[in-house]
Amino acid sequence: MSLLSLKNISFSYDKTPVLKEISYEFEKGKMYCIIGKSGAGKTTLLSLLSGLASPSSGEILYNGKNIAKIDKYAFRSRYIGVVFQSFNLITKYTALENVILSMDVSSCKIKNKKQLALSLLDSVGLDESEANRRVLKLSGGQQQRVAIARALSYNPDIVIADEPTGNLDRDTQKEIMEIFRSLANQGKCVILVSHSSEVASMCDERYELVKISGKKVI
Amino acid sequence: MYIIKNAIRCILRSKGRNILIGIIALVIAISACIGLSIRQAAESAKESALDGMSVTATIQYDRASAMGNMSGGRPGSGGGFPGGGFDTSDFASIMGSSSSLTLEEYQKYASAESVEDFYYTLTSYFNGSENFSPVSDEVESEESEEDSEEKSSDESSDSIFDGFFGGIGGLDFGRGFSGDFSVIGYSSDASMTAFVSGNASIVEGSMFEEGTSELVCVISEELAMFNGLSVNDTITVTNPSLETETYTLTIVGIYESSENNDFSMSQFGTSQDPANQIYMSASALNVILDASKDNSTTVTDDNGMEKESEITSTLSAIYSFANADDYYAFEEEVRALGLDDSYKVSSSDISAFESSIAPLNTLSKIAGWFLIVIFIIGGIILVVLNIFNVRERKYEVGVLTAMGMKKWKVATQFMCEILIVTMIAVVIGAGIGAVSSVPVTNALLEGQVESQTSQQAQMEDGFGRPSNVGGFGGMGGVPSDMPSDMPSDIGGGKKPFGGMIGGATNYITEVNSAMNLTVVFQMIGVGLLLTLIASLASVLFIMRYDPLKILANRD
Repeated sequence: MSLLSLKNISFSYDKTPVLKEISYEFEKGKMYCIIGKSGAGKTTLLSLLSGLASPSSGEILYNGKNIAKIDKYAFRSRYIGVVFQSFNLITKYTALENVILSMDVSSCKIKNKKQLALSLLDSVGLDESEANRRVLKLSGGQQQRVAIARALSYNPDIVIADEPTGNLDRDTQKEIMEIFRSLANQGKCVILVSHSSEVASMCDERYELVKISGKKVI
Repeated sequence: MYIIKNAIRCILRSKGRNILIGIIALVIAISACIGLSIRQAAESAKESALDGMSVTATIQYDRASAMGNMSGGRPGSGGGFPGGGFDTSDFASIMGSSSSLTLEEYQKYASAESVEDFYYTLTSYFNGSENFSPVSDEVESEESEEDSEEKSSDESSDSIFDGFFGGIGGLDFGRGFSGDFSVIGYSSDASMTAFVSGNASIVEGSMFEEGTSELVCVISEELAMFNGLSVNDTITVTNPSLETETYTLTIVGIYESSENNDFSMSQFGTSQDPANQIYMSASALNVILDASKDNSTTVTDDNGMEKESEITSTLSAIYSFANADDYYAFEEEVRALGLDDSYKVSSSDISAFESSIAPLNTLSKIAGWFLIVIFIIGGIILVVLNIFNVRERKYEVGVLTAMGMKKWKVATQFMCEILIVTMIAVVIGAGIGAVSSVPVTNALLEGQVESQTSQQAQMEDGFGRPSNVGGFGGMGGVPSDMPSDMPSDIGGGKKPFGGMIGGATNYITEVNSAMNLTVVFQMIGVGLLLTLIASLASVLFIMRYDPLKILANRD
């Protein structure tokens, strides 16, 4: 059974159709890439998948349940981890505080939040001194790692990342992709949104979005 | 819990903004503390003054209210007396119905739970006899002239009253000033408040027995000297309407009074001179009144009007209360017992007390307005600051809600931030306010008292004597609606004859402590109110924000 299903979803911005009748299945342990040119609706689809927006028609099912009928806040804070394109970290907090805040928001019962947060940050390549640094004082790549650690902080089934390698150098890109691969290997469903064919080539499945005229699976 | 932790973290990470909010809240807190302390000081002063204060009260016909309800407006409105549109028959009816309640009615209201003691006095007027004359200001050598002047004075006095009341049907409202002496009958020892308070005392003989029906009396030292009388002598008094009707009283005591005997009411007749007051038991006076009633005949007065010769009396009832609360409860109780709205309950003690705290009350009112202004201005500034704050932190709100934090939780965090800053300001403000409130209150109070006393002095300068402007309700006065023929020691014995004589008001000029637990709780309330006002706008903004739009715009 698929973890996340799209059933004929369509979406319009002010009567301008952006997505039309998209159906797709996402499973555990796989890494997916949604590719497409600018304006194809990649970020819109990510917003729908993460529960930040609702489709104009159609259904998104999480474990067979329509997410429209699940508390959106609970869905976002417990079942799905999102790594935004611009990271969306609280800039006046440290990396560690950002991760702990995410744990707090999820209301998950975690015994030693600080320890877990430090180990998560360590797993994405940030040591303790970097973890205790204000986010603004970290590089783009480090911020990306913090965003990934934050998305994983409450151990969600699905991790979605919008342009995860967009602003990173080649080495960092590789490291980040390795992190996502390891997450998929751990049984998580990883969905990446990218316009990069290189990123797409590293994924198990790709879903290409084209501007409203059509869509195809490669 | 994490909301509070986040709030504290955000406060510490945005010091500049929060210090600014804190300073504004501090200014409001200090102002509020001083304002509230002034109000509390007024309340405390009231309570401490009222605490243990024994209060006496009367029930009187509310003429002013009745006249106010009359069609055609108030008498004299527009400068004239009974003038255009004013129905004199209505006025006559009101004034005619202004007779006091009966003794039975007074006694019925005395059954109210709040009443501690009840007593009454009866006042009647008598003429002297051949060997018993009233004390008079006039000198012997001018006696013949005096007679004519007295008559002329009486006429003049009468003409004043006739001018006042005569035009409305020639009513005699029980003025009863037509005798040489006032004979006052007391229902009990307690009702002789001048003697109870020590303002009067027996210098020869003793006081008559309480409730005695024997025709015995006490007279003033001046009256005894004037007529060469002493204890056990007898005096004969005459019915002013019927010279043949006489009563013989035995003097059992002679008293002296330390009350103000600067008699200035000669135009009202010698009976109004305190020296010409004869005191006896109400029961004894009733014996005379009953006898007079039994022997009543129709006589013709000086104006050629026929009337009954029966000696009339004026009843004045006094209710005594253990404290002011009982007095305030009394009015409700008597209304429940059937006292209609045309009568009112009043107390000279309470009037005097209210006069004494007038400056403090004025200050309290000013402080109240000051508080409102401070709240409005401070509240607006805080709201504006917080709107800027939320707009500045819009992205943070977007991130938090995108992460799955519910909007109300985000709003709560923002409220907590304001609450913490405000409460710190309130604590500091309360400390500064506690230190400064007493001197500030006293300084402001001094100004108020000076203003009040200079107003009084101005009036006294204008009148060349203590003025009666503002009614009889000043300290030591009796209320303006107190019957004018009420004996001078009615209403506590400490009061001179109303405001006609006047007296300096003992203003409360200093407070010792203004801050107490009530103010502390009020300050906490101020803090919560400020938080609520300041965060209201930010909460509205947060609830309207859409995280997707915020983050999309950011991208």
